[in-house]
Amino acid sequence: MGWAAEPVDFNRQIRPILSHNCFTCHGRDEKKRQANLRLDVREIATADRDGIRAIAPGHLEASELVRRITSGDAGERMPPVETGKNLSLSEIETLIRWIKEGAPYSPHWAYRKPVRPPLARVADPSWPKNPIDHFILARLEREGLKPSPEADRTALMRRVSLDVTGLPPTIAEVDQFVADRSPDAYENLIDRLLAKEAYGEHWARIWLDLARYADSAGYVADRPREIWAYRDYVIRSFNANKPFDRFTIEQIAGDLLPNRTEEQLIATAFHRNTQTNDEGGTDDEEFRNVAVVDRVNTTMTVWMGTTMACAQCHDHKYDPISQKEYFRFFAFFNQTEDADVPDERPVHTLFTEEQKRQRAQREAEVAELEKKLTMSPKETHAAQAKRLTELKARLAAINAPTVPILRELPPDRRRTTTIQYRGNFLDRGPPVSEAVPAAFHPLPKDAPLNRLTLARWLIDENNPLVARVVVNRYWEKVFGIGLVATSEDFGTQGELPSHPELLDWLAAEIVARHWDLKYLVKLLVTSATYRQSSRMTPQRFERDPDNRLLARGPRFRLDAEAVRDQALLVSGLLSRKMYGPPVRPMQPSFGLSAAFGGAMDWQTSEGEDRYRRGIYTTWRRTNPYPSMVAFDAPSREVCTARRSRTNTPLQALVTLNDPVYIEAAQALARRIAGQGALAAADKVRYGVRLCLGRHASATEVTRLLALYEPARARFSNEPEQARKMATIPLGPPPHGANLAELAAWTVVGNVLLNLDEMFMSL
Amino acid sequence: MSPSLEHLQSVTRRHFLRQSSVGIGTLALWSLLNRDAEPAPPIVSPLAPKKPPLAAKAKRVIYIHLTGSPPNLDLFDYKPELVNRNGQPCPDRFLKGRRFAFTSGTPKLLGTPHTFARYGREGIWMSDAIPNLREAADQLCVVHSMTTDQFNHAPAELLLYTGSPRPGRPSLGAWATYGLGTENENLPGFIVLISSGSQPNGGKNSFGSGFLPTVFQGVQCRSKGDPVLYVSNPEGMDRQMRRLTLDALRDLDEIQAREFGHPETFTRIAQYELAFRMQVSVPEVMDISREPKQILDAYGAQPGAGSLANNILLARRLVEQGVRFVQLFDWGWDFHGTNPSEGIGDGLTKKCATMDKPVAALVKDLKRRGLLDETLVIVGGEFGRTPFREGRTAASSILGRDHYPDCYTMVLAGAGLKQGFAYGETDELGFSIARDKVHVHDLQATILHLLGFDHEKLTYRFQGRDFRLTDVQGQVVKGILA
Repeated sequence: MGWAAEPVDFNRQIRPILSHNCFTCHGRDEKKRQANLRLDVREIATADRDGIRAIAPGHLEASELVRRITSGDAGERMPPVETGKNLSLSEIETLIRWIKEGAPYSPHWAYRKPVRPPLARVADPSWPKNPIDHFILARLEREGLKPSPEADRTALMRRVSLDVTGLPPTIAEVDQFVADRSPDAYENLIDRLLAKEAYGEHWARIWLDLARYADSAGYVADRPREIWAYRDYVIRSFNANKPFDRFTIEQIAGDLLPNRTEEQLIATAFHRNTQTNDEGGTDDEEFRNVAVVDRVNTTMTVWMGTTMACAQCHDHKYDPISQKEYFRFFAFFNQTEDADVPDERPVHTLFTEEQKRQRAQREAEVAELEKKLTMSPKETHAAQAKRLTELKARLAAINAPTVPILRELPPDRRRTTTIQYRGNFLDRGPPVSEAVPAAFHPLPKDAPLNRLTLARWLIDENNPLVARVVVNRYWEKVFGIGLVATSEDFGTQGELPSHPELLDWLAAEIVARHWDLKYLVKLLVTSATYRQSSRMTPQRFERDPDNRLLARGPRFRLDAEAVRDQALLVSGLLSRKMYGPPVRPMQPSFGLSAAFGGAMDWQTSEGEDRYRRGIYTTWRRTNPYPSMVAFDAPSREVCTARRSRTNTPLQALVTLNDPVYIEAAQALARRIAGQGALAAADKVRYGVRLCLGRHASATEVTRLLALYEPARARFSNEPEQARKMATIPLGPPPHGANLAELAAWTVVGNVLLNLDEMFMSL
Repeated sequence: MSPSLEHLQSVTRRHFLRQSSVGIGTLALWSLLNRDAEPAPPIVSPLAPKKPPLAAKAKRVIYIHLTGSPPNLDLFDYKPELVNRNGQPCPDRFLKGRRFAFTSGTPKLLGTPHTFARYGREGIWMSDAIPNLREAADQLCVVHSMTTDQFNHAPAELLLYTGSPRPGRPSLGAWATYGLGTENENLPGFIVLISSGSQPNGGKNSFGSGFLPTVFQGVQCRSKGDPVLYVSNPEGMDRQMRRLTLDALRDLDEIQAREFGHPETFTRIAQYELAFRMQVSVPEVMDISREPKQILDAYGAQPGAGSLANNILLARRLVEQGVRFVQLFDWGWDFHGTNPSEGIGDGLTKKCATMDKPVAALVKDLKRRGLLDETLVIVGGEFGRTPFREGRTAASSILGRDHYPDCYTMVLAGAGLKQGFAYGETDELGFSIARDKVHVHDLQATILHLLGFDHEKLTYRFQGRDFRLTDVQGQVVKGILA
């Protein structure tokens, strides 16, 4: 690289080098700081210290840093050998160029408020369909790449249905879209998908990873916890297209809103998804503190894309958060009533309207009787007292499910928050008051220092992070990888955005659109970028293996829930029942108990509850549903911003052999065989369409027939095998069915449900 | 089908049958199917075997966790002075400012009811509760000076296995497979076996992958039903039929691969072939009835029983087949004295009988097969137990001890360790470490060292930080290295 290149960019080129190699000893953490030198603050880095300057802007020979990073003496060279860190030649060259250019610093990009940039200029103005495409195409043109052609309609239909609703399209839906030749056909399709209730279930599922939602309390005993009303709140919020700012305030501080509704109270269960430790001999106060720490860390990850956990024990080494600031932020969450007790107090009881009416009536009766009792003569006293006891018992007998909630302590019971040294709740420092870290935007002036103010601060228009973090997370779900790949970390240790202007444009747009999340989804999936074919050549793969430049459409593996939901849907088993207590689909028996807890095995739910969408499956933290774990579902013990996406033989065993998937293959076989008089080849075509939405090629039909025919022949000779293959576990076949045929179609169905294409969003 | 395509497919099929490594198979397939194209970048399986950066002494690990924590003072750490002062009030200096799980006030000192003697060339102290281990004394490396920070089960177990008392970090076995991959891809690289009816205290976190990719988590094998979940074909489908379905699946996926050109498709094809091989290799290795009678007898194993003895024998079969990390959990070692089976007298003797014999047999068996030199065996709990009687059961006829984090004993054997050796010492009453303290982070650092890693350099970046098993501590215990 010649010297005439563009000037060095501090955020993009220098900060990562300094952050990774130098800040541990020459950064924010006072305790670890060496030689009293900071390289993260320009005034200190360039200061004259007894005639020596670490960095002398523009003067290489006067810069001690240059001498030390290039020194041939191992004892002098930086970074020191024992750190295991090592600057590459090009890193040294970049640092030298930067100092020569005057060593300009600039604040970390993510802490500057995004300003909506003008649309990027492109050479081919015919390609972009919306503003996203300008930014993507401009970059592709700079890299000398061309976008891919648009995916065909069936492929696109499958991709967008899975991305918007988590479910593939039915044959009828594909036909409707393919036949719609109007110019708005695609937009109308998106509107139809966004209006489905499956949309809310799908995006709620994604949110529940962040909310660490589970149906058990965690830790050793991991007993069941009743908190599903929160899951239903999230689904309803997405389906109602609740703006994200309202969604935020309700979950962080719904209990503090004036005239708060029942729904807003249920929303506060967001932070009651922390674990509760019931192990005998544990200190409740210790684990209450752990829960508050989790609330701090989760809030920071979800809304600020900031990793706060390190500052619990010491000043953050990389990002501008001190330990004191950590506990000042902690103080906002340290005033709620809940205290790691097994009954989950405080909880809200979910009475139905009828129950509420009954309760009001009985409460009135009780009150009236109590009043009477104080005034009545002695002789009638006993009878009335007995009646009162009865009435109270009847009042208490009105039972309903509950949900844990946040409730602020009364003024006389407020806790004093202190710094906790090394993160130990017993090792306490000086008391601190509520505040947000100084590096972030300030709290609104004169607002009370409570959670409600904090919630408003999170979605404040001056917050430089929240809109970027949210749009990036949506981008990640739709395109498979975020514009910032480390979607959980926008700090200095996180990755820089691949398309910074696009990120800022989207951030500005979502705020201007009043946090309309359905609009955001529509914006992403109607872009030309999204609609590209995902076909690839080895050359294109080599050029951009992770598809960061987006010269092709997204193609990545479905999430665990979608893998199962899809198999149930195409086989016709899926129940569309929504909401309510979690369900227990078939799972293998382990014959084990949780430590000090109940059995891990469960009684399979009856009827359609076996076939509900994955979001309704009971989520036990110490033993999450095994087949979903195989497909990278997390345990939900802590906030998960991003799931990994592996490809393993254990996954193959799940979809090949798990009774859930065998049952789906059997149901699929009955759908296929149910086509009556059709020729076998046509039945194969039907099966492929049910599963993939598209038409099978002639080669594919031939290949599947070459499986079906010999399988049928074998099962004809082995009726007992045929019976098992076709009916265990689904149950007796339809009247008059040919078992050998059903068994052979089950085998074909088993193959269809395991096609690579089935696991991909195409 | 064109002759050339047919030829190509037969080539790839033969290729698969030859290849055991997913990575190489995938790469070769890509080139075969895209003959005119440039070679694809290698897609290496995350479980492909990797050479550790330092010279490794141990290639494999068998870790036998005694869930609940056995009483060190009744098995290995002999304290005659505690016996002399049995029943006296516990001195105040040991209690001041301390928290215990189930004890408050002033408890009574508790000397062991067991008889101790010295065994092996170096004279390692052992009690009458572990008669078989005495005979293996010359192979053991007993560490008396273990210490931890946690005195409740779940946090202590998590600290031991993940380096942090809270859920969410990768476990020891996950770190090992992340660093080393596995030697036999037809079996999971990290296998977990659980006996005596309960999960470990940390739940799946004690063998989870935390923020590492889930491919590194421990695969829990069951003693009843499929040993690995879903490894058996469904009812009505035999192996031949399974082969026919996989042939069809592969052909269809190859069409897809040519159409879309995604390397992930080849990886998936390879994973299905691997699953097919696992369907044979897993039940085979898990079937202890294939062992000769004298081996079954030596371990005290009985086919079909699901006991700790069975699992210890299975562990040997697994490491023999190249499984990298075998983690056992056995429930029922929490000797509070709340019932006869949790008493440190007969209760302990009975419980030890289920562990003592198979562990001794394992050490001898590994040695006889020449595997002990490259296999690390670890036996122990998550913390120690108090030198005084537990508060709740102080008046009972059954003796029990409370949780105690300050000192406890672990037993190690095998690769790279001194043999017939005792390390570290506690004070005369067993309240504190007198010499050569070994924190759980030090144990972790030492295990990684034996596997060929500098524990400070085996890291994974997550949420902006380079995490490691030993958190921010840990020193290799050089004193126990051979």
